[in-house]
Amino acid sequence: MRPADALSSAEAASDTATVTTPAAEGTQDAPWHRLDRRMLLIRPVLDLLRSLPVLASALIVGHGEPWQWIGIGFTVIAVCTGISHVLTSRYRITESQVEWHTGLLLRKQRAIPRDRIRTVDVTSEPKHRLFSLAAVRIGTGRHSHGKGPGKDELVVDAVTGAEAQRLRTLLLHRKVESTTEEAAPPETLIAEVDRRWLRYAPFTLSGLAVVGATLGAVYHFAHELHFDPVRLAPVQSIVGQFEDTPTWTIVLSGAVGLLVLVSLLSVGGYVLSFWNFRLTREPEGTLHVRRGLITTRSVSIEEERLRGIEVREPLPLRLVGGARLVAVAGGLREGKGADKGGGLLLPPAPAKRVHEVVADVLGEDPTATPLVRHPRRALYRRISRALLSVAVLAAALYWLAWIDFLPAWPWQVAVVLLPVAVLVGWDRYRNLGHALVGRYLVTRTGSLDRDTAVVRCDGMTGVVVERSLFQRRAGLITVIAPVAAGKGHYRVLDIGESDGLALADAAQPGLLTPFLER
Amino acid sequence: MSWAPDRPIGQAEPVSEQTTASAGALRLRPPAHRVSRRAIGYWTATAAIFWLLLIGLQTLIVVTADDAPSFLPVTLVISCVFGPLHLAVMPQWRYRVHRWEVTGEAVYTQSGWLKQQWRIAPISRIQTVDVERDPFEQLFGLAKITVTTASAAGPLRISGLAHTEALRLADELTKTTQATRGDAT
Repeated sequence: MRPADALSSAEAASDTATVTTPAAEGTQDAPWHRLDRRMLLIRPVLDLLRSLPVLASALIVGHGEPWQWIGIGFTVIAVCTGISHVLTSRYRITESQVEWHTGLLLRKQRAIPRDRIRTVDVTSEPKHRLFSLAAVRIGTGRHSHGKGPGKDELVVDAVTGAEAQRLRTLLLHRKVESTTEEAAPPETLIAEVDRRWLRYAPFTLSGLAVVGATLGAVYHFAHELHFDPVRLAPVQSIVGQFEDTPTWTIVLSGAVGLLVLVSLLSVGGYVLSFWNFRLTREPEGTLHVRRGLITTRSVSIEEERLRGIEVREPLPLRLVGGARLVAVAGGLREGKGADKGGGLLLPPAPAKRVHEVVADVLGEDPTATPLVRHPRRALYRRISRALLSVAVLAAALYWLAWIDFLPAWPWQVAVVLLPVAVLVGWDRYRNLGHALVGRYLVTRTGSLDRDTAVVRCDGMTGVVVERSLFQRRAGLITVIAPVAAGKGHYRVLDIGESDGLALADAAQPGLLTPFLER
Repeated sequence: MSWAPDRPIGQAEPVSEQTTASAGALRLRPPAHRVSRRAIGYWTATAAIFWLLLIGLQTLIVVTADDAPSFLPVTLVISCVFGPLHLAVMPQWRYRVHRWEVTGEAVYTQSGWLKQQWRIAPISRIQTVDVERDPFEQLFGLAKITVTTASAAGPLRISGLAHTEALRLADELTKTTQATRGDAT
């Protein structure tokens, strides 16, 4: 990847366009802005495509029936709603808040206080890139529990790249009243993607999800249409060719084929997501992440609002010395699919590079400090839990085989997995650890998906201590650090009771002291 | 924090290297206050209604329906055994377990039966204080308080407080919270 030369078209536009803010912007009677009219060309087409299944089924299946009109009516309403959204939506930025009005028949008005805005996320999907447009998502620090475009988020879909850039600067850098900049402010580069990092892509197993989803979709579709893909002529002929070969060759070649396919897809996914990845710091104290080949994303995180970072090392990635870096900050979208990884600070990269970036972003590298290990009793808990879950699975599979619902091999495989469970349990214990480094609390858990969280102590909104019946017998507790960002809470699992309380007391000085006794 | 060295499996180990050396092991003391005694009645009443509905519904089906599922008599017997047991044990146990305390700096709650939980939230991080009463709570003169912080880790709940006590507490918390600056995130 050549990150330096190719800025996305949206950003190129924003860099060249002179950002001239009307004098009235940010005052009580700021002018209203509307969505870009070119969305009128995009939105109806997309709405039409989206309602195509309904329309098609209504026209084909329900030909001549009255309810084909329902399908058509449905589509018309969808398209009209889209058009009215583009036409009626308007927004303005006053001194204290961002106001948003939309709707023709059902009018909605929303206002977000400007001092609540934590992140501004600029996304350019293929539909936007056609006209160099971008969708701007304005996120507040509140942790939204719901899904979708939640209450705590304002989506301006879409404006020109230059306007998106202007909104970003205006909303995040309000402290510095430099609205008459000639060009984009100078940024310092913290990290950019390296072509060699592609070697980590197959170990992220992201391709596995794609293969799984595709197979699932094909199966579901075939099932819906009552047709068995196995009986299809080409499939039959391929299966026929393999009839003479022994089973283990088929299994082996299938596994190798799957591995190659997954690797290729993972590499493709890596390129799509992290093409031109750049992590920069703007002088006003904002981290700025830009990435993506077809859908470009640009996420800004106020450093003041950064509550910490997470180093994520899934087992395959960890084995080859790679890791991912994620920001713990409020207002980032922690959704599914394309929304996932809103807080990504570094794609799968060498662990050494990850630690350099941590040191750069936080000013120190708390993850470099050796962590305090947890008591031995935690090891028994880890191993017994891992063993128990596999044993229960094996027993269930055995029972299913016993009532002739399943063949015998699933439970045999589960029994073979028992030693693996012990290994995983042991590794889970080995990875458990915590430390208090400067103003950061570091905690590490997990084996198959190891996660080292670094949380700023002053970002904790209290302390939660948990103790199950079994932990009580072992003299262990779980200390939970609630944070208004990221996952919402970070656990220090199975720490000794006295140690855990001392840790919590040190992390939140004075808070626990009146409730502690010796 | 020191690096704790590995010990061979099976060897006894002190809880901690640093803290046990100087003084005794640290423990959380339970919060000072219990909830209202009337809460026992309230918990018993609500649980009793649940069990009565469950048992009544099953009995109705067993008695009236011609082809009642064969498992229903079994679950009916199970409900008849566990219902009274639950009613006898749960309210007393809950009364012992649920405790709370509010100081000038923090709210502190204890809850949980098999999995105990202690939650401490500094007053400065409190975002909202809600007082709620369902009809039964009104009948028993009780209320529950929910204190939320900005984190998604969950709010602090104190249920079974005497209504006057809950109002006084909410009032006090709201006053202190308003006095603290910042948006509490």
